[in-house]
Amino acid sequence: MDARVDRKLKITTPSDLEFAMTRQFDAPRHLVFDAMTKPDLVVRWLGCAELAMPVCEIDLRVGGAYRFVFRSSEGIEHVLSGTYREVARPERVVFGETFAMPGFTSDEYLVTSIFVEADGKTTLTTTIKHPTREARDGHLNSGIEKGVEPAYDRLADVVATMG
Amino acid sequence: MALDPLSSTFAALADPTRRAILARLALGETSVMELAEPFDMSLPAISRHLKVLEHAGLISRSREAQWRPCRIAPVAFKQADGWLGNFRQFWDESFNRLDGLLEEMKAEEAAKAPPRTKRKVKATREKKSGRTRG
Repeated sequence: MDARVDRKLKITTPSDLEFAMTRQFDAPRHLVFDAMTKPDLVVRWLGCAELAMPVCEIDLRVGGAYRFVFRSSEGIEHVLSGTYREVARPERVVFGETFAMPGFTSDEYLVTSIFVEADGKTTLTTTIKHPTREARDGHLNSGIEKGVEPAYDRLADVVATMG
Repeated sequence: MALDPLSSTFAALADPTRRAILARLALGETSVMELAEPFDMSLPAISRHLKVLEHAGLISRSREAQWRPCRIAPVAFKQADGWLGNFRQFWDESFNRLDGLLEEMKAEEAAKAPPRTKRKVKATREKKSGRTRG
């Protein structure tokens, strides 16, 4: 078995309005597609340690809606919701998405995920297109609250070695 | 003020309310009033948090407008960003968990699959259309 799977998440900015995430998985694409579009599977991986996911609803068909609610330990809710524009299992899914948290609701942005399989491995490329560059940059910075906890520990190590 | 820049950044980020304020400001400039809204806190309390963030160089506040809009300080914030993790962290962590789930799904599929000789194209098709849900 070829163990060479590049598990590093790559984030690029192909244009002023877009950013793209690329990630490889050691599984055929129909499994990756299902894991990303079936609610009972999505709740098992999407999110992070600091966030609970009390709502995960998916109506996977063109025009169908989905809704993901994440709740932080402080009770603050982040909601991702949208409508499917294209559903082509197992190679492509496109949806318009909106992000909301208390005091903020984003404009809708377009998310296109493409699943390419080779040798039983899948490369997933997700491109996110915003109406403005500011909105795109805001999106790229939006994980601060969730990302900070583990980074805090790393920061402590850095500080310790700085003397 | 005697704190070195890293320590004051560190101290500023230790508080969940301040992290939530930063998360909100990452989405764009806003007023103190708007910031205070979701937190069920008095304006003076929010102002104290903002002062800490401002000291740490993480946000800047306009002196011109009366409502003193707050925004992420791009330069200082970029410095901190390398330690903070961000959007990337959310997806990195999620995808690492997805790796584990996919291993389970592969094993499950292998266990379910009939012996090779019996595998028919028709069976695969039925399964596919069943899952596409229209």
